Amino acid sequence: MSKPKSLTLRTYQVGFGDCFLLKFKYATEDRHVLVDFGSTGQPKDAGDQLMLRVAKNIAETCGGKLNAVVATHRHKDHISGFATNSAGTASGDIIAKLKPDVVVQPWTEDPDAKPDATRATHISKRNRSLTAALSDMHAFSQAVLDEVDRRGVAFGPHLRGQLGFLGEDNLANKSAVENLMSMGKKNVYVNFGTDSGLEDVLPGVKTTVLGPPTLEQTDTIRKQRATDQNEFWHLQAAAGQSFTASGKSPFAPRYHYADRPPHTRWFIPRMDALRGDQLLQLVRALDKQMNNTSVILLFEAGDKKLLFPGDAQIENWSYALEQAEKKPTLKQKLESVNLYKVGHHGSLNATPKSLWKLFEHKGSAHEHDRLQTVVSTMAGKHGSVGSGTEVPRSKLVDELKKQSDFFTTQSLKKKDLFHDVEIDF
Amino acid sequence: MTQRVPVRTRKLRIIAQDPAVRVAGQILTTTVEVPAEDLQPGPWGCRVQVIDYDSSTGVLLKPLEDAPTEDGGFSDPFESASDHTLLTNPQFHAQNVYAIVMLTLARFEHALGRRIAWGFGGHQIKVAPHAFADANAFYSRRDEGLFFGYFPGSQGTVFACLSHDVVVHETTHALLDGLRERYTDPSSPDQAGFHEGFADVVALLSVFAIPEVVGLLVDRAAGVIDGRASSRRVKAKTVTPEALRQSTLLALAKEMGQEMAEVRGAALRQSATLTPSTKYKDEEEFQEAHRRGELLVAPMMNAFIEVWSGRLEALIQKATGDLDRDRVVEEGAAAADYLLTMAIRALDYSMPVHMDYRDYLSAILTADREIRPDDSKYRFRDHLRASFKAYGFEASAVEGADEPGIWLPPKEDLAVWPKGKFTNAGIHFEGLTRDPEEVFRFIWQNRRALGVVEGAYTRVLSVRPCVRVGSDGFLLRETVAEYIQIIELEARELPRMKIEIPEGMPKDTMVTLYGGAALVFDEFGRVKFSINNRLSHHVRQTNRLKYLWQYGFFDRGATQLRRFSQLHRMRAGAMDGAVREEWH
Repeated sequence: MSKPKSLTLRTYQVGFGDCFLLKFKYATEDRHVLVDFGSTGQPKDAGDQLMLRVAKNIAETCGGKLNAVVATHRHKDHISGFATNSAGTASGDIIAKLKPDVVVQPWTEDPDAKPDATRATHISKRNRSLTAALSDMHAFSQAVLDEVDRRGVAFGPHLRGQLGFLGEDNLANKSAVENLMSMGKKNVYVNFGTDSGLEDVLPGVKTTVLGPPTLEQTDTIRKQRATDQNEFWHLQAAAGQSFTASGKSPFAPRYHYADRPPHTRWFIPRMDALRGDQLLQLVRALDKQMNNTSVILLFEAGDKKLLFPGDAQIENWSYALEQAEKKPTLKQKLESVNLYKVGHHGSLNATPKSLWKLFEHKGSAHEHDRLQTVVSTMAGKHGSVGSGTEVPRSKLVDELKKQSDFFTTQSLKKKDLFHDVEIDF
Repeated sequence: MTQRVPVRTRKLRIIAQDPAVRVAGQILTTTVEVPAEDLQPGPWGCRVQVIDYDSSTGVLLKPLEDAPTEDGGFSDPFESASDHTLLTNPQFHAQNVYAIVMLTLARFEHALGRRIAWGFGGHQIKVAPHAFADANAFYSRRDEGLFFGYFPGSQGTVFACLSHDVVVHETTHALLDGLRERYTDPSSPDQAGFHEGFADVVALLSVFAIPEVVGLLVDRAAGVIDGRASSRRVKAKTVTPEALRQSTLLALAKEMGQEMAEVRGAALRQSATLTPSTKYKDEEEFQEAHRRGELLVAPMMNAFIEVWSGRLEALIQKATGDLDRDRVVEEGAAAADYLLTMAIRALDYSMPVHMDYRDYLSAILTADREIRPDDSKYRFRDHLRASFKAYGFEASAVEGADEPGIWLPPKEDLAVWPKGKFTNAGIHFEGLTRDPEEVFRFIWQNRRALGVVEGAYTRVLSVRPCVRVGSDGFLLRETVAEYIQIIELEARELPRMKIEIPEGMPKDTMVTLYGGAALVFDEFGRVKFSINNRLSHHVRQTNRLKYLWQYGFFDRGATQLRRFSQLHRMRAGAMDGAVREEWH
């Protein structure tokens, strides 16, 4: 039981989302860690009840017991599978029955970090205001969806699709969040440098938490206007709730004009389009902030290193990368990564180029011990080819193919629910 | 019956700064004079069209209709309206934005001595006072409009269109875009900061030019509450530069509606608290457009405070150690107004591309000296030189002028005489004052004297006749023409122009270089100034490319950052421009 001999990494087909089951194989038993379980869009031919089937397969594969669950951040495409229903038959109910010993989440999910936390807390006021901003972002996302619902035609189909997708992904996933809070024996909330809580359940496996940083940690590398940002999202959420969600004008009906006189007819559609653009800018910005609360985890077993960064983007990565410049041991860990779970479904901004440059195992096909990369993604959901923002980003995928043994869930056949990668330690 | 004499201006009531600035609990308002015109419902005048459409709710609000007095004169429907009406009647909001946009336009036209076109093709800028439920306000060239948001605040709904400084700021973006269309191009931290900084300078000086606002601040500093002044005298110690900085710049920053900070940023506060230092300009933090903008606002506002305080020194009565309160207010408003005119006039003496703060300082000094050779009344030029220097910016004009920092007339290059000498042969004077073709002919004919790069595409952007009253009381007629030069090269070709290839830039990267000049012709059609940033200026071009490469402007999607709507979001800290790490 001292050290695992090998690992099976099972990547599930969840469409646009992440779901990975890590089976650490020891001499006498296996230990299982589930990293994320969510989806915001399933392939057309995925069949019915995909999430339920995935949950059942997880239960079967782990023999009815999960040793740990890691929920990298609270986006729907990472946690929707944890949602429960009143009948107790949802995918999240199945996972809860697997009684994970540890549930690992970012510090922003700590109940002590909530703005309305009542007990004395070790989390600073500033950090708590960030979590307040996160809940404002949920409220704003809801308002955006309401506005799209009400005024959608004015925005045109493409914009409406993007707004719908991002708005949806950023809604509060209440039942999933509650399930994550209650399903484990122990909840561990992590930030850069803290213990992951996984070492107790994974003997012989070392884990390093590389993100997210706390605001204090971020401050050491650059001056952020975090308080402004929190206030900003608070205002946006309030504006959404007071006006746009309801469509209620701030002015009395006697000032409303029923007619659209000819001289306004060029301007009004332009303003509608402008509004749509503005909303998209805003939901993109909040989407990014949520991504940047992702847990970044590095597993080490034997001489192998596996990196799971959730959807972290450069703002989250910056602190770890900066620390790596100061601490050779940390840098060496990143350099020697053997398996990289591609950040944020292969988007253009979640595999920082400076991180990619560090990986020493990347190289041409005949290289020994070549870097393995795994991405869970689905094209056509996020961004657009025209603006060079499509997910997965073709330029990144080309590079991954060229320099690593690359696997994407897009290559899964209709009948395949998952793909396994074996790694010997 | 008396006969009505046509008037050139009309009076309209506006909110002096924003609804948070109050005296005895009442919103501080003021009456401004704007050009009189026959308005259509909107208000919709010759240059400004208010269309009160709210894109968040899809509601079009009724326009304000002008109601002439019985004898056909102009009236102000909100002359004595209650605060409640001012806040809740959208038609007052329409009047407020209309008046402030017109006032700002009039200030520019007055300073430059000619009509100013907007940056897009049309004549009338559309203004949406309640454009969306969002803490944002911006100018969009593409949509030919100014857009002001609204959002819920702690004391009820906050309307960006009721903040004087915010309306002037956005209008200034639109006017500057009309005058120098290339200033939104990526070029250098200074140019990126200039649009923001200049708009803030114009906005803040416009607010300080309102006597009611200055009066309020002076009274507050003297301990006067609720406008009930017990004494018309203020103590000498309250008018030192430091005391004025605290009691006006900082106090106004505190007084302004705090919730609007998300929209307007903190330039005013920073100008009062950013202690002079030559180090900021090289710090990473100040490479970002808004922080960079503060480095323009701070020296400008400091010069204003120094001049104001200097003017008051002579008014202090030795015996009593105090001075008249009204004179303090009057001098403050006058100094703000004067500096504002200088700041705008400088644009005619600024190059059309790649402007930096050192160039702007030379432009402001030169423009003012042209109009008022004797600087002894306000000593603005001395103070500006000193305050910019304190932040590390020395005028870029070459040495040799009798006054430091002034642009010099172009030197004729006698080495290549006669081709290096200016000639007006074949040029028609009349055309030179208004016709781009004629000006282009002049440039072509004088390309060597002007230092124009011969292999590049060259185009005249504008020819603008302007008339000003000189210090001798005579009319000063000048023509300001702008031309740009553009050349596209592969990075490998750069060394041929002595320009260094930025580190890491692939040799086949297509690079576009810009150059150009503002030519100021005197009343005889002679080149008085050629204020240029030559295409062939290899040091500047090298620095520019290095900056653009480093900050990811060669990546796709980077142009997004130039849009004002996005820029303003970045000011609120909600977005940043890190594109270097991305897979473009």
